[in-house]
Parts: sequence; C-alpha cells; structure tokens
Amino acid sequence: MKITLHINKKNYEVECAGHETLIEVLRDTLGFTGTKNSCNEGECGSCTIIVNGKSVLSCMMLACDCEGLEITTIEGLAQEDELHPIQESFLDKGAVQCGFCTPGMVMATKALLDKNPKPNKNDIESALDGNLCRCTGYKKIIEAVEDASKKIE
Amino acid sequence: MTKTSKRIHTDPVGKSVPRIDGKGLVTGQTKYTFDVNLPGMLVGKMIRSTQAHARIVKIDTSKAENLPGVKSIITAKDTFNIKFGSNEFFFPHTIDQMAFESEKVRYIGDEIGAIAAIDEETAQKALDLIEIEYEPLPAVFDVLDAMKPGAPKIHQAMNNIAVILPVNFGNPERALKESDYVREDNFYAQVAAHTCMEPHVCIGQWETFSNKITLWMSTQAPFKVREALAKTLKMGLNDIRVIKLASGGGFGGKLEMLPMDFAACLLSKKANGLPVKICYTREEEFAFSRRKHAMHYKLKSGVKKDGTLMAITGEVIADGGAYCSYGPTVLAAAMMRIFMVYKIKHFRVNGYRVYTNNPISGAIRGFGGVQSGFSVESHMDLLAQGIGMDPVEFRLKNITEPNMVTVNKMLISSNGLKECIEKATEACDWKKKIGQQKDICRGIGIGIAADVMGSKMYKSHESAGSIVKIEEDGSVYFFTGAADTGQGSNTALSQIVAQELGVKYERIKCTAADTEITPFDTGSFASRVTFISGNASLNGAKDAKRQILTVVAKEHKCEIDDLDIKAEKVIKKEDESVIMTFDEALELCYSFNYGEQIIGRGSFNPTTTPIDFRTGEGNVSGSYSFEAQIAEVEVNKETGKITLLKLWDAHDVGKAINPQSVEGQIEGSLIMGVGYTFFEDLKFKNGRVVNPNFANYRIPRSVDLPEMKTILIETNDPKGPFGAKGMGEAALLPTAAAIANAIEDAIGVRIKNLPITPARILKALNEQKTLKKGNEK
Amino acid sequence: MQLKPFTFHSPQSLNEVLDLVNKLQDKKILAGGTFLLNNLRLLKKRGIKTPQNIISLRKVEKLHGISLEKNKLIIKAMTTLCELCESPDLKHNFQILKIVAKGIATTPIRNMATIGGNLTCRYAWTEMPTVMIALEATMHFIDETGKEESILAEQFFKNGAKSNKLFSHVSIPLQKQANLTYQRISKQSPVDIPLLAICAKSQNASKHFSLTRIAVNSGVNFAQRDFILEEFLNKSKLSKSIDEEALNHLDNKIYDARSDEYKQHMFKICIKNAIRELAL
Repeated sequence: MKITLHINKKNYEVECAGHETLIEVLRDTLGFTGTKNSCNEGECGSCTIIVNGKSVLSCMMLACDCEGLEITTIEGLAQEDELHPIQESFLDKGAVQCGFCTPGMVMATKALLDKNPKPNKNDIESALDGNLCRCTGYKKIIEAVEDASKKIE
Repeated sequence: MTKTSKRIHTDPVGKSVPRIDGKGLVTGQTKYTFDVNLPGMLVGKMIRSTQAHARIVKIDTSKAENLPGVKSIITAKDTFNIKFGSNEFFFPHTIDQMAFESEKVRYIGDEIGAIAAIDEETAQKALDLIEIEYEPLPAVFDVLDAMKPGAPKIHQAMNNIAVILPVNFGNPERALKESDYVREDNFYAQVAAHTCMEPHVCIGQWETFSNKITLWMSTQAPFKVREALAKTLKMGLNDIRVIKLASGGGFGGKLEMLPMDFAACLLSKKANGLPVKICYTREEEFAFSRRKHAMHYKLKSGVKKDGTLMAITGEVIADGGAYCSYGPTVLAAAMMRIFMVYKIKHFRVNGYRVYTNNPISGAIRGFGGVQSGFSVESHMDLLAQGIGMDPVEFRLKNITEPNMVTVNKMLISSNGLKECIEKATEACDWKKKIGQQKDICRGIGIGIAADVMGSKMYKSHESAGSIVKIEEDGSVYFFTGAADTGQGSNTALSQIVAQELGVKYERIKCTAADTEITPFDTGSFASRVTFISGNASLNGAKDAKRQILTVVAKEHKCEIDDLDIKAEKVIKKEDESVIMTFDEALELCYSFNYGEQIIGRGSFNPTTTPIDFRTGEGNVSGSYSFEAQIAEVEVNKETGKITLLKLWDAHDVGKAINPQSVEGQIEGSLIMGVGYTFFEDLKFKNGRVVNPNFANYRIPRSVDLPEMKTILIETNDPKGPFGAKGMGEAALLPTAAAIANAIEDAIGVRIKNLPITPARILKALNEQKTLKKGNEK
Repeated sequence: MQLKPFTFHSPQSLNEVLDLVNKLQDKKILAGGTFLLNNLRLLKKRGIKTPQNIISLRKVEKLHGISLEKNKLIIKAMTTLCELCESPDLKHNFQILKIVAKGIATTPIRNMATIGGNLTCRYAWTEMPTVMIALEATMHFIDETGKEESILAEQFFKNGAKSNKLFSHVSIPLQKQANLTYQRISKQSPVDIPLLAICAKSQNASKHFSLTRIAVNSGVNFAQRDFILEEFLNKSKLSKSIDEEALNHLDNKIYDARSDEYKQHMFKICIKNAIRELAL
C-alpha cells in the first residue's frame, strides 16, 4: 500500500507492505541508515527514534501504523554543518566510542530534554535505560546529557 | 558557544581532543558494514549443524538449488578443505577448524556450508530445504567429563586435551614446606559473550574476470583475515583486499576469520561475482560467534608470616568448546599474567585447554585475564587473611618493581603498580574503611592487575607501519593498518602524528585498516595499538618531518638538525625563531625548485622474545601496564542483594595520549567487569545456548552503574610513543575479585564461583550460620 | 523481512473496528506492538503460521485517554504506560498505578506499551493485572454487536484472561481511605521482569486491618488474590510482628511451588515488606 510518512519535517510517499516494520522502511526503503538495529526484539534501543515527542523503538512498530505521526530520526537533528547541541555534547564529553548505539542514545536524550530540560542524574539514567552501550560504561554518556542540558538552557 | 568542530588543537598529545571520526558517528552518517547495500547484493546464510556431535552421512542441497532466487550454495566439496586457526606459529597442531565440515560436526552451529539468495526470505527458505543426514555420536559438554578416559573423542587429542601448558619455576614443593601458611582454593569463572552492538557482518565480492576478492567487514584484524582467507582459498595475499569499515565494537569477537567471511567470498564467486552480505542475527551472535572460556582454577600457595609470597601451585582447566581458535594463547595469558604482577620464584601451574561439544571459546577482552584475575586476586586476599595481614600491605610486599626481570624472563621497564595501589587506597580511604564497616554490612576490597601491549601472535613479528603523506596545501594524509573498532585508535594515532609533525590535530586525515592501501598491522588486540602502531605512526611522522626540514634547510642553507616544527611553524631550535609557517614550508617543498613529495614512512616492531610454551619463558611484550582497583559494596543480608557503591581504578598508562579516551576505555572495562561479576552468564544445555538474547543475557544498563573514579598514573614509559602504554583491557581484570574481596570484608563470606548472585550470597550466609552453630556446639 | 506478510488495517472508528473484527477470520489486534511484534517474529522463526490480518487501534480516538469521573477512574485501552506515569488524573489511591507503570520495562517500551496490551496479552508476568485486582477494577469489553460487557478484573484473570471481544477500557473505583502498596522483586535489575509482585490494600481502622485485598503474581500463573492471607489480616491488629506471623497464613499454591529456595525466600521478604507497608 502507498503511505505517507512524515519524517524530519518532510513528507515521504512510500510503497510498503503491511508487515514491514518502521525500521525496515527507514533503513532499507528510505536510506535513513543512521538508525541502527542490533537485536530486533526491543531490548537494545539502537533503533530509538522520536515519534510525537516520545522515544520509541522503530523495530517494534509497523510502518503503515505510523501514518500521520511526526517522526524524527538522527538525520533530522543536525542543521547542515551545525551539530545539534546534544551531538556536540556527545563529542565533547567523549560519550562516543564505536558509535553504533550513539544515534539511539542521542534520540533518547533529545526526547528527555525536550520534555525535561533540567533532568537530574536519576532522570537521565532512567531515560536511557532502554539503550544498551557495550563500549563506554555509560558514565560519559550521562555526563554528555548533563552538558547538553546546560547548553540548551 | 564554542563549537567543538571549530576548536583548534596544536600539541594535541595529552589533550582530550574530539574523536577524528566523531561527527559522522553522532550524526549517523558514518556507514558501517551493517549499513552498506551494494547493487545486486545477495543475502548469505550459513548452513549449520543441528547436532552437537555427529558424523555427516549425506548432504543434499538439490531442493534448495532449485528454489527460485537461490544464486549459490557451497559446501565442503567447493573448498580445498584447508584447516585454519589462530595460533599457527606457536601451536601448529591446534589448527583444527575448516570453513565447512564434511565428515563430522562438533557443536551445534558447526558450519557445513552456505547459501546466497536474492533476499533474506529466500535464503531462509533455502536453508530449510537443505537436507543433512547425521549419524549422532556421543557428545560431552562438561569440561571435567571431557578429560576423563573413555570420554567421546572430539578430535585426535588424547583425553580431549588440545594443549597442556606446564609452567614450572624454582622448587615449589620446598617453598610450600618452608611457608608458614599454605592454603588451597578452587574457583570457577563462567562463560560470557562479547555482545558487540554491531553484529558480525561482512560483504564479499569475487571479481570473476580478475579473480580478486574484496571483503568489507567489521573486524579488529583485517590483515589476519586476509592471511587466513589466502590460506584457505589457496590465493595470494595480493589477490585479496580486506577493508574494515566503521565497526560497532569488537572486544575480541572480531579478531579472526570466521567461516562466514570465507563463505561470503566463495558464494560471490559461484554467483558470478555478485556481492554477498552475511550478517549475524543477535541470536547467531550469542550462539555461534565466539565465547569466553569458562575456567576452573585450583590454586595452592604458601606465604611466610611476614607476608612473603613463597610459592604458587595449581591447575587451570579451560572449556574450549569444539575448536581451538585462540584458546591455547588465552590459556597461556591466563597463567602468565601473574608474573607481571607478583614477584614469585617458585611456581608450578599446569594448564589444560580442553575440547568439548560446546560452541567455540576464543578471544574476548581480557584474554584469559578476567578468569585468572578473579581467581588469583581472590586467592591472594585469602592468603593475606590467613596470616592476619592487610590485603594492601600484603600486595605491596609482593608486587613487581620497575626495571626488573621476572622469573620467566619478562623485562619490566616502567612499572607504576606501587603508585597505583597507593593512589587508589588513598582515594578510597582504605585504612579507615577496611574491616570497619561490618556493622552496616559495607566492605571494601582490592584487586591488582597488569597487562601486555602486544603478544607476537602473528607469525614471528608484530610490526605495524604508517605512511604520512603531506600535500602541497599542507593536508596531512595519515595511513595506518590499525583497526579502530570504537576504542579511538584513529584519534590517538592522529594525535601522535600531529604532535610529532608540530601541526594542529585538525590537519590530519586518517585512513585506516585497508589491506591494499594502508601499511600492514596485525590488528587491535592485546592492548597493542597505542604502543606498537603508535610508535609506527610516530616514526612515520618523524620521517615526513625530516623530509620537509631537508627542503627548508637547503633553502635556508642550514643544518636539518638545527630545525624543528612546532605549533604550525618551522623554527630554529636554538632561539625558537620562526623561519616560515608549515603551509609555506609545504609550498616550498612542492615549488618549482624542489618539487619534493613528502611521504613519510614508519615501522615498528617491539623487541621482545616470544614465550617458549614448553617452559613459560619469554618476554612477550615491549612494555607492561599496571593497575589497582578497589570496590566498595553494601550487602543486604536479608535479600542477598549487593549494591556496588563505588569503583576506584588507578591505572599506569605510561602517558595518556587522550585522557578522555583513556578514561572511556577504563570506564567501559569496569562496567563490563561489573556485568561479568554480577549477571553475565551464557548458559548451555546439551551444547545449545539457552539465553541467546538481551532479555535473558543481561548486560549492564544505565541504571546498573556504580560511581566510578579513574586515576591516571603517568610513568612515561621509555619505549612508548610520548611515554604511552597500552591499556584497553586491564581495567576489566581485577573487578570481579575486588568485588568478591569487598563482599567478604562486608559480611564475612567468600564467593568463589562467578557470577556473584544474591542467591549465592544467601547460600553462603546460610552455610556460615550453620558453621558457626556447629562450632558453638 | 522481519515478519510474515499480512494485511494491515487501520480503522478510524470503533464501528470500523467492529466491522473488521466481524468480517475477518484470521486476525490479531495491534495496540502498542511491544508484545505482538516480538510474538510474530518468534512465530515466523519457528515456522508457525501467523495471522493474515492485523488491525491497529491506533487511530480509534475513542480508545485513547484517561478520565476521572465522580467515583472512578477510566483508563482507555490505548493509553500508554508513559501516559499513565504523566497523567494529572492519577491522584489518591490511583497513584499506585504510576508506581507500577514506572517500574515496567524500559523508557521506550513504556512509551509504546498500552494498558490494554498489558492486561490482555496473556503473559503471566505482566504487572498491571496485579494492581487492577487489588484496586477492584472492572474491565470493559465490546462485543461484535457493539454492546458493552464488563467483568471484574479478578474474575477475568481467574477465567484465564481469555476473551474474543474487544477490550475498551478499565474502570477503577475511587477509595480515598485505602492504604496501598506495591512490592516487586526482580531477578537482577529493576528493568527485568518481576519474579514476584504483590499489590496489597487495606482500609486500616482503629488499629486493625480491614477490607484487605492482596493480589499476587508469582510469574507463573495469572495474578490472583490470596484469600487466606486476607482473612488472617482482616482479623489482625496492626502490630510490628504481624509480617512474620502472616507468613504462616499464606495460600501456598499461589507462590510457585516449583521455584528454588532463593525464590521462596524472596517471596517471603516481598510479602513481609508489603504487610509492613500496609500496617503503616
């Protein structure tokens, strides 16, 4: 079926089958490969995107079910060559190692800060509890979120 | 607001510059092999054994071949049946795996062949149509059973023991007799998984007209993969190009050629050169990649009343699974590390690396050191306890020192172990806390460790190289063979190049890990890259700088040695007067009069002597790094729940090229160690993994963190680039022991089996109660 | 392709939903998707047939929302766990719902998973049934003709949580006086599914427990009440030692007899904690 997806403030007309998941359409059909998937069972958070202001898992959604929703992926954050402050903070604070979890982490952070610009450490740990990272030990990621929260002030 | 992207870093060594590849990673624009989609690309899948141990009677692929959309199917008959493995130089008889087995399978998942089809769906359907007839053989899954006479024979090895390592020095029997206190302990450390966020993935393409292969992959060691491919495919090294793209983690799991890499190339050949992508699912990742060796440790040691460690004896038994992989050297590393940490003259430990019908055990961050770290460091605490000595004092009395030769001939130069212990104990207020918080069930414990930086595991040399090419516009193109799988080696090596060249870090463009373009490098393992590839990069930059200065010296009629480049300027050494800018110097090099190309080359091979595995003697690494780690815990005696309050890690890193990266490595290691201590436990039933997903194999999440404090100790190693040493793995080694030691300090029970679960704590507390009651009677 | 092909339906109204439900034979309802998609993947992997039709409720406005009416709280089926956590309507005894919702799974899962999914997915270890039973909630369904049917949550789970009707909402009576507690133990970390969860309620009066209601989920069976414990408490005074005594008055068949020593031990702690909280 033909559907229209609203991604990063643009409309995309996509021909997709009912059983295609959102992550499949984002990555394979539309080429938004910034969003990763690492487990396909809702455990790792690599596929985290923002839908209507909430961080959600694109491996757990059907593309056809996302018509009319406002979807933001990692590709929708940076403005041309200007990084989003969250991305800046992730770089500044050394929160990136292999980078595979990073898009998901950044999106989870954005959803948090959009709702709660001044989160405490518990809020941050809780907001990121669905995103696995095997490299950093999370400490620098949490510091990056704190740093971004200061910048966004 | 200052933007990271616009900041300039001159003299970058020792500064936390942002990652050289960072922008691509934070914007999601970097392409991992996982993301790559080539025109006409096929999907490959492995044909795997469903049996743990069986003879293959018949393989029938005809039905699958007739399925529309299937482009190629390969089995052993399409191969040369050449065995490969990872310890060819040291243990030639452990080269025991073939890409595809045709006679016998030895674990559930053993590769029998592979399929390529137009899409995932078709490939999966084709897999279901493959018919394999087996004649089941008795299988053995318990490592101790596997060693018994009469156990099912998995390979030719007697009692399934692939390798025995007897390490023997001095006269341990006599030393034990002379000891005031002798004790024996048994420990067990379980199986764990790497769980890289990017699963194993590769794309193979066989150019049929030229018979050349390109393999894009997520790997830690492209040059090792190239060698194994050349051997098993009977091709020249120059027929194969392995390109590492951005890689989502390795941790030892992406250190070898796997049958999937071989398969992707051969499938492509049979499919007339269409590229074939094979990507593991998360389940395959858990079940069929590699796993940590489970190890049984038996230790019997003696000490004098004054704390002198007299002798260590014992036995290590490692469950190797179906094939050897890196097993023999993992076992060796598990045994030899002790010499880097403790001054010991009398030593006898026998190591056994044993085949079972479980999946293959191989390299994983720590390389045997995590299992030995837990066992040895727990044992040391118990020895100290036996003579009533403070565990820190006991360690300070027995640790290795700078500039010494160990009993097995390791040459230790810089050694900050003493300082590490002192700084860590100071930071955590050890003296005030040890034994003092029992009333609130709090305790504190220490573990110490050392690590190599390199291991001579590729043939007989371990060299790395670099090329530093500088263009007329002053751009610095830096080529290294080192494989950055996320640890940040491209960044650190670029910092070294910029520092030596005297230019800003932002000038450097780094190209890495492409076997056809970059210099040779054995790979990212054994914490070797900063030290070995770092020295190679330093040498390349030195060479390039000399070439530039040669031109400038000619132009200005002075000696090269009088000149230097600092902060983007060519200067006279004696008075630091500026002769010209770096850009002007490059313009000069490429000018009408000179036309001199600036192409620096560097090479580095550490002067070491490989370990002689018949005796355990040798100096495996060019230098050694050290650390002390302290854990503070609180235990709930009612629930058995352990709260890890804080970890302190003081680490002798020689010199932190990028302090932020170094901290990141330490913090990542610590949390990996915490996961292993408390819950990571890959479980098997009759050779099949029972928890192959993140829901049932828990790795730490953001809500599982202790407070962490890292303390960097800089001992400026004389051989390291700008004094730096390797440090990517050591912080993981003593974590479990530090925690176990802290638990004993808190509640008086000793946990000798990992993982340390609340159930085990409660069981130990109950046993303690029963014991006390018994004593009272 | 992660899922086997099916036809996707996105009805806009309740009537459209009912039309589809009546018309289509082989169908499944999609709410938040966090159970269903994994389930479909698992079936595909095992080579088991998956439904031909998936009907999403996302666009059916009537199934969204939380409202506080005079004496009861209405939570519509498509309300996400996150919406529960953030709702200003969850006051008084309803606050316990926030506590429970906040403890379920991870942030992105809570942002997607719905109360309807949690109550009707038929996984024994979901957490909302326990609290609904303790709160004396009623579950409301719509049959194929559009007629509403309701059943006490307690009864629904006792019957095996089976229903071929469309779940529309849950209603919970307001009980300002009730003393409530929710206790759970998980294997390792709070993000893991619970080994045991207890929701306990009592309207303590003149130093006595009264009208207690203890709902228990030991992860194996659906949540159910422990009548023996309730009866014991209803006859008991609020005292310090009551938690220990209560352990002798449990309906043992509820507490997963097959579980190991550690789990049994933890069950007891969990029960004691609940009773202690209740006695406050």
